[in-house]
Amino acid sequence: MIRLVRAEWTKLLTTRVWLGLLLGACAMAGGFAALFTGFAGQTGNNGQSLPGVGTTAYEQAAFGVSARATVLLLILGIIGMTQEYRHRTATPTFLVSPHRGRVVVAKLIAYALAAVPIGLLVVATDVLVVEIYAGARGAAPSLSGDNLGVLAGAWAALVIYAVIGVGVGALLRNQVGAIVGALVYLFVVEGIVFRAIPAIAPVLKWLPGGALDAMTATLNDTDLLEPWQGGLLLLGYGVVAAVAGTLFAVRRDST
Amino acid sequence: MGSATTRDPVRIEVRGLSKAFGSVQAVSDLGFTVEPASVTGFLGPNGAGKTTTLRMVLGLERPDAGTATFNGAPYASLPEPVKTVGAVLETAFHPARSGRNHLRVYCRAAGLPLSRADEVLTEVGLAEAGGRRAGGYSLGMRQRLALATALLGDPPVLVLDEPANGLDPEGIQWLRGFLRALAHEQGRTVLVSSHLLSEVEQTVDRVVIVGAGRLVREGSIEQLRSGAVGAGMVLVRSPDSVRLAEALRTAGGTVTQEDDGALTVAGTTPAEVGRRAFAAGVELHELRPQTSGLEEIYFELTAGREQFAAHSLGSDTDTEAAR
Repeated sequence: MIRLVRAEWTKLLTTRVWLGLLLGACAMAGGFAALFTGFAGQTGNNGQSLPGVGTTAYEQAAFGVSARATVLLLILGIIGMTQEYRHRTATPTFLVSPHRGRVVVAKLIAYALAAVPIGLLVVATDVLVVEIYAGARGAAPSLSGDNLGVLAGAWAALVIYAVIGVGVGALLRNQVGAIVGALVYLFVVEGIVFRAIPAIAPVLKWLPGGALDAMTATLNDTDLLEPWQGGLLLLGYGVVAAVAGTLFAVRRDST
Repeated sequence: MGSATTRDPVRIEVRGLSKAFGSVQAVSDLGFTVEPASVTGFLGPNGAGKTTTLRMVLGLERPDAGTATFNGAPYASLPEPVKTVGAVLETAFHPARSGRNHLRVYCRAAGLPLSRADEVLTEVGLAEAGGRRAGGYSLGMRQRLALATALLGDPPVLVLDEPANGLDPEGIQWLRGFLRALAHEQGRTVLVSSHLLSEVEQTVDRVVIVGAGRLVREGSIEQLRSGAVGAGMVLVRSPDSVRLAEALRTAGGTVTQEDDGALTVAGTTPAEVGRRAFAAGVELHELRPQTSGLEEIYFELTAGREQFAAHSLGSDTDTEAAR
């Protein structure tokens, strides 16, 4: 198994996909952090005002924006799995390891571990931007207590979303379909459609987006799961997708 | 590359292999043996079930019935498959990854030292191109890289699906020598599929010919040749072909006049024809045994079988429509 995990890291590091997604994720976290800080304390045209620099609400929201980059780690995981089918390297991969389930497990482990340093860099970018910008506006947040909890939650969410990506990729096999499908689900289905239907509101917290919200503080003050529950739930989604993918898609004859 | 003395011979045995895709019977009760220290050509028209068979042999596809084993063990049960069998089925690579890195991925996965990547690149003549992105490789270079992947584990068995596709004449020449050396000098078991007999005729020792998913002929290339329709036929040319034909007929030969003026004589030898002509005082311009080419035998064996895929797919569609 360790050989297969190392082979996955070699695959990951010998193309530039990881670098692009890492830079994109850092830019996303840093950008959102800057926006949040820039507009902190201002009142929008809908009458709602954003919490000001120095408030707990601001600090937690600004540190929680790292979790928005989870979508890019999701894509990293999806590409990691589906590239085998897209570039038809599944055949040599399965020749080396005729037990296909082991290949999927190796990818889950490899991408979870690879997401640890990537997630750390994303969170670090967020912290850097917030500390400098908010510091310039008068109150650099302290890196302690609940703030650290939010950062840890965002970091864990980034790692878990890479795992979910591998699972989704195993299930769908088609790279473009899996990425588009995941984005549409997260941003359109769960982000807009479900939120607009009151009947669904109670189950939202059990869905991937709601579980992600649970892991980090957000401005939405709806009832959410505990962060650790959200994390476990997300991990569960990833594992279920990977198991289902292994049973129904990956083991299916590939041509 | 290892030496021949230390390599254990491995025999591939295929028994009763069958596979259907929907209502299309791709492979039917197929059985054959691939011997060590020789190159076996796995021949048949497109759609004869060659690739499906190879995929089942390599554990990539589950057969409906039958077995394929390497010294008794199916592929999936081999403890170190890459160190027993090297295979080329598709020449597909991640376009952004260099040839060397592609090989290193599989070194890692198989627990081989990364230095094997450079060794096999040199073996297939890609040492210079190893650092370049595989996406920029020519078709011939891709074939060589695929072959290099198969050689990583220094396996006693090589299974290659259409390895000559996309090779230029020089590349084909190189591949011939390479495969023969792998089998004859190093004692490996080499199975090469092709839809063109002429492509592998000079390379293979044995042939397994399939048509419509069934075994048509299995044996050595000499056995195939001796079964040729043209065996015992002699072609002779003379400015006085009428008198020559008469002389040969008198001697009991069956003579056929060809369109270009040559005569073909059945059931005789060139020496016999020469003797008759000399006795009759007829001038000869050409005299040679007319064994029809292996290609013709191959066509005869597989004639009418290449429509299999298209025909069956058509009838499948009809069935779908009827439902």
